[in-house]
Amino acid sequence: MITQRFEELVKTIAYKKGMPNQRFVFVPHPVAGRSPELCHRYMEGNDPVTKKPIVEEFLAALTKPLNPEDKKTGFLQRPPRPRLIEPDTAENLQRLFAKNGWTDGIPIVLPTEERVAMMMKSTSRKPDEIVGTMRPSPPHEAWEFTVEMVAANAVMAGAKPEYIPVILALASTGVTSLFSSTTSFARMVVVNGPIQEQISMNSGLGAMGPFNEANATIGRAWTLISKNLGGGGTPGETYLGSQGNNLNYNNICFAEREDALPSGWNPLHVQKGHKAGESYVSTFTGWSLINYGGFALPHHQFIKRMLTGLLASGTGSGSQATLLLDPITARDLRNDEGFDTKEKLSDWLMKNGTSPAQQYWARHSDELKKGKEGIEPFASWLKYPEEAFIPVSSFRPETPIEIIVVGGETNAFLMAGDFRYVSGASVDKWR
Amino acid sequence: MGRSARGALWIAALIFSSTLLAQEARIAVLNPRGTQPPIRLIPMAPRLDTLDGKTIYIVNVAFGDTFLPETLKVLAQRYPKTNWVFKRKIGSYFDDDPKLWAEIKEKGHGMIMGVGH
Repeated sequence: MITQRFEELVKTIAYKKGMPNQRFVFVPHPVAGRSPELCHRYMEGNDPVTKKPIVEEFLAALTKPLNPEDKKTGFLQRPPRPRLIEPDTAENLQRLFAKNGWTDGIPIVLPTEERVAMMMKSTSRKPDEIVGTMRPSPPHEAWEFTVEMVAANAVMAGAKPEYIPVILALASTGVTSLFSSTTSFARMVVVNGPIQEQISMNSGLGAMGPFNEANATIGRAWTLISKNLGGGGTPGETYLGSQGNNLNYNNICFAEREDALPSGWNPLHVQKGHKAGESYVSTFTGWSLINYGGFALPHHQFIKRMLTGLLASGTGSGSQATLLLDPITARDLRNDEGFDTKEKLSDWLMKNGTSPAQQYWARHSDELKKGKEGIEPFASWLKYPEEAFIPVSSFRPETPIEIIVVGGETNAFLMAGDFRYVSGASVDKWR
Repeated sequence: MGRSARGALWIAALIFSSTLLAQEARIAVLNPRGTQPPIRLIPMAPRLDTLDGKTIYIVNVAFGDTFLPETLKVLAQRYPKTNWVFKRKIGSYFDDDPKLWAEIKEKGHGMIMGVGH
């Protein structure tokens, strides 16, 4: 039984899982949070897809005899995948790519054999080498792709050949930028190491804005790869974000400002156990960012409030936080507020964080049970009103609050977002 | 043929060949799509001849808290000779619940699963 809104999704999943004739009964959407009376009326009504009574549809699904197609074993043939698209004019090909959902809605650079070959000159890997697999979310099938396929999408994004090691590394993580969930996820890409300078990435003024070819096209390539090589990005089937997320166009792609890190603050990839001289690409998942100008000091107290605000808004619940600090803010935190490493700031924020009471109890069933049994401090916290704050952070204790330095030092700004680190890959391995 | 006539002919030929070139500028591009895996077909479970005397599980997979209890009420009223059993799968959409599947295989004749919200 499924709600009507997910008809395309479940039929697609059933087909890909090998049961194309799986029987479904559909009910109106949504059902969560609806009153028992309304649900009762739904049950006594018609299936909104078949227009037949729901109760009879259940009976048919359970008792209607199977036909020979339902009992079939073996393999289903997938459509063949030609290496080349049938030749046509550039204008018609642009139309074809857009119509088939192979773009992000913006015109692409057509991936001719010459352009793709040129793109692959900046990697030592062979065109037919498998880079990895990618899927829109765990229930979906994973698609496999080669170096040449990644290069074709890099060309489409407008990337220069020298960017291809970063794009291959990004693709090799197997992380999609278009995660299929109703909650409209965003992703973030952070590049560290010598490759930043080698391909002229922007880590300074306007690094997250539309001012740099490498930042722009590497981020865009990830979305095209997620659609075309990761089998995702078809609304209703492999993408369910109810409102969508504008950040998916470029996935907040930038380089960390390593030259402006305060003394004792390590670059992100070094924090993750890699050598400073290694080039590395990291991926993050989350939903949104909020902005703050640090005109009032100290910064760490305001950051603490921002993070509580993220939790109170509901967006940070169940996730983690990531801070994007302008170098001025980072230096203030280091020199004036005593955080001589990123880790110390991260730990302080976790230890001193607060959570809205209502959300804390919703996410901490063991502690709720202890509180009801009179065990302190939970018993006292249970007496707090719902709108009060519990002196514990609700961010995931198993992963740190991430801190990245980026920006052009025009002011003491920072952004905080409900992002968490997902995974990364060595760029050097794809040179 | 006068000089102006030759000029006109030359211009006409130029326009004609440019039009042809524009029409013929067909290019080949690479397929941007990845490789889909093969699909192994799974035969569907045999259906029941009747619901009478059978045990049917109704399993909640994050389908809200109110709908499936009403489903149970309506089905129990319509099919009173069926033993309806309500269960909630553990965890989120993505978590497996092998104990529950084993119980249904052992004790049940069929299952209705509510998935979504």
